[in-house]
Amino acid sequence: MRRHWMLRGGLAAALSAALLVTAACGGDGGDSSGTAARKDKLVLIAQQDPGTLDYVKNNLTALILWLPGNVVEPLIKLDQDGRPQPGIAESWEISEDQKTYTFTIRDARFSNGAPVTANDVVYSLKTMQNSPIATYKAPYEAVESIEATGDRTVTVRLSRPSQSFFRGMGGMSGLIQPEAEAGTIATKPIGTGPYVLDQYVTDSKLTFSANPNYWGEQPSIKEVEVRIIPDGTAALNALRAGEADGWPVITIDMWERLTTQGFDKDFKLITYPQVGEMLYVTFNTTKAPYNNPALRRALAKAFDRQQFIDAFNAPWGAKATCGYGLSNTSWYSEESPETCPMPFDTNAAAAELKAAGYNGEPLEFTSLSDVPDLSLPADLLIAQLQGVGAKIERNALELARYSQLIFQGRPPQFGITVMSDPAPITQFACPDPSKMGWTTYCSQEMTDLMNRADAATSTEEYDALMKQASDVLKRDAVIVPLLAKSGVGLLNPKLQGWQEPRILVDIQFANLHW
Amino acid sequence: MLVFLARRFAFFVLALVVSSVLIFSLIRIAGGNVAAVMLGKGASPQAIDELMAELGLDRPLPVQYFDWVAGMLRGDLGTSFRTGEPVTDLLVDRLPVSVPLALAGLALALLVAVPVGTYAATKAGTPTGAFVATLSQVGIAIPVFWAGVLLSLFFGVKLGWLPTGGWTPWTVSVTGAIRSLVLPMVALGMVMAATLTRYTRTAVLDVMNEDYVRTARASGMTKRAALFRVGVRNASLPLVTVVGLLAAELIGGTVIIEEVFSLPGLARMILSAVSAREVIVVQSTVMVIVAFVLVVNLVVDILYGVLDPRVRVTR
Repeated sequence: MRRHWMLRGGLAAALSAALLVTAACGGDGGDSSGTAARKDKLVLIAQQDPGTLDYVKNNLTALILWLPGNVVEPLIKLDQDGRPQPGIAESWEISEDQKTYTFTIRDARFSNGAPVTANDVVYSLKTMQNSPIATYKAPYEAVESIEATGDRTVTVRLSRPSQSFFRGMGGMSGLIQPEAEAGTIATKPIGTGPYVLDQYVTDSKLTFSANPNYWGEQPSIKEVEVRIIPDGTAALNALRAGEADGWPVITIDMWERLTTQGFDKDFKLITYPQVGEMLYVTFNTTKAPYNNPALRRALAKAFDRQQFIDAFNAPWGAKATCGYGLSNTSWYSEESPETCPMPFDTNAAAAELKAAGYNGEPLEFTSLSDVPDLSLPADLLIAQLQGVGAKIERNALELARYSQLIFQGRPPQFGITVMSDPAPITQFACPDPSKMGWTTYCSQEMTDLMNRADAATSTEEYDALMKQASDVLKRDAVIVPLLAKSGVGLLNPKLQGWQEPRILVDIQFANLHW
Repeated sequence: MLVFLARRFAFFVLALVVSSVLIFSLIRIAGGNVAAVMLGKGASPQAIDELMAELGLDRPLPVQYFDWVAGMLRGDLGTSFRTGEPVTDLLVDRLPVSVPLALAGLALALLVAVPVGTYAATKAGTPTGAFVATLSQVGIAIPVFWAGVLLSLFFGVKLGWLPTGGWTPWTVSVTGAIRSLVLPMVALGMVMAATLTRYTRTAVLDVMNEDYVRTARASGMTKRAALFRVGVRNASLPLVTVVGLLAAELIGGTVIIEEVFSLPGLARMILSAVSAREVIVVQSTVMVIVAFVLVVNLVVDILYGVLDPRVRVTR
């Protein structure tokens, strides 16, 4: 009996060990170890799962990173300097009064082999015109009609000149899809880009392969896998183990480890300041006491930007700023006594807070609890505000609740919050004061400036007016920009061809090669 | 026996109904809505309202509830708002990850816990027994997250024997799928083994002092033979209960392991759906898991009645 039990126990142990050894020595059968050895394959890491690929109804960065530029293309392309280049439209004519645009569509095919027609372009533009995402439909505000005026000609007529329309055609608002396949956009969007999306497995990966029908040059790397790894430690482990070739977008909470754990020595550390995110504080100007500009200016002086940079221990990753605009805009400015109307000064902040009539009432600070990029800065900001005598009530919400109360609240339900985004200044426009949202600033001066900027007939005039609009936000402390965060990533040192995104936050595979 | 079965079944149905109401209500009490999450911060309230209407989420709650229940009874678990995929398909995609992970983890835990726990019981009161008991206590204290990260670092990064994470579907490569599951299974199994060792030790200690074990000894069996041929069988009754409950919880409760190892399992799907307020995905998936747990409990209860006649007479 004893031998019987020993034999059974021994067999079980041997079986388990054999399983482990077999598994350990087994082929990779589809996983991606040692991808650098395969010159036509690339594995990248993404921390966020987009949840859906419907880019018409969803503006998550997790989606914008991978689809535009790789799978779907816009009507025109904006080069590294923001100048329009041929995209799906191989040429265009703009009338003298800048109210009529005639686009000639190139002879190209979608990845499913169907030819790109004028009707597809009309459908795509009208779809974006009706998108529920305000920033996607904004370029179409002045558009009166969109028509196919030939087999390969599309004409768009505007009620007035609009800078944002033509710029918008180079971004998300101008993405072109086949009308016949629009039903599968949420799981398998189709476009004319250099890659085809083969598969999207939620919480797992997106896989792409080179588009045989691409109108341009075939990419060097034929297969790309974007592996979704939500945990930062697991992502770094995958890089170290050689299971991934790069992690192009790394959140600020991980930056310190890139240097302290030597990743910047073993991998190519990339930073792309031109398209990153602005970290800023915003006040709810729809309610007291935040509608008091003197109080806002006083609180703005409590913010020590250098403390953020020190806290993240990554001086290469962010720059202190007090102007709302990234470095790819003409109104970007780094922090300096000359450019910042409310420089950091705790004594002045405390004194001006009292002078503004602050009587010690609790100020509600709402932050996102499930986004480390924002919950960590919130910790610092609250301490800084308390340091100048403000009594803070912290309200930490997860995204769904935050969206409901703040993004969608009418009026928005917060006092002070911290947010980050690619600094679209147009989100502060106030076309209808009765529908003021969490960022809209309904000053007549601001509204006039933005309307005039959009109607500008030259880029120089547009830039000048947008700078003035940005200065209004700065002067009135509606928002208090803190940091211009760069995009930061790690790449295998053997991977070449990396091109910094300059306009959209999109990671383009076609330029990359081993 | 029939009365016993009928009573158990009635409790089962009642538990299902109460669970469905709770699940339906809780996800809505949490606040937020899927349209706002989907459309993001740039969307207007009008766009949100339009999307909510399109998704049927503006209907009265009782209507939504009965519509959902009626669908479930027809086998229709609903459709994901974000991707338009049937929830059934989403579940089917995730089960090949979660079920093998849970069962393999549990099997490993039992392989370790039963012999170790039994051994610890036979050595109770000795330094060896105390050592084993302490070891299991330490195992219980180890967070499964930490165990997973360490295993990944050692076997994945340092040795390069196994992937640090990710999932290879069974249909692509059986070996790849097994490799994807080894480390998560070991992390899960280690922590569960510690808990089950304690249960086993306690259960065996209880039966060791029972009359029937003494009778077996008196009839000429060695201590070991009496323990294994008579005692362990009786000690397995409470263990069956615990294992049954654990197996059911594991199917949807491995979220930490799935996050650490980037496995597209059921738990991560539920977590993601809760964050995005995908109410249909959350409701239907959780309901399926609850139904599974209740069925397992029902089977365990019935097994008890079969194994121990006293149960079906007195209950």
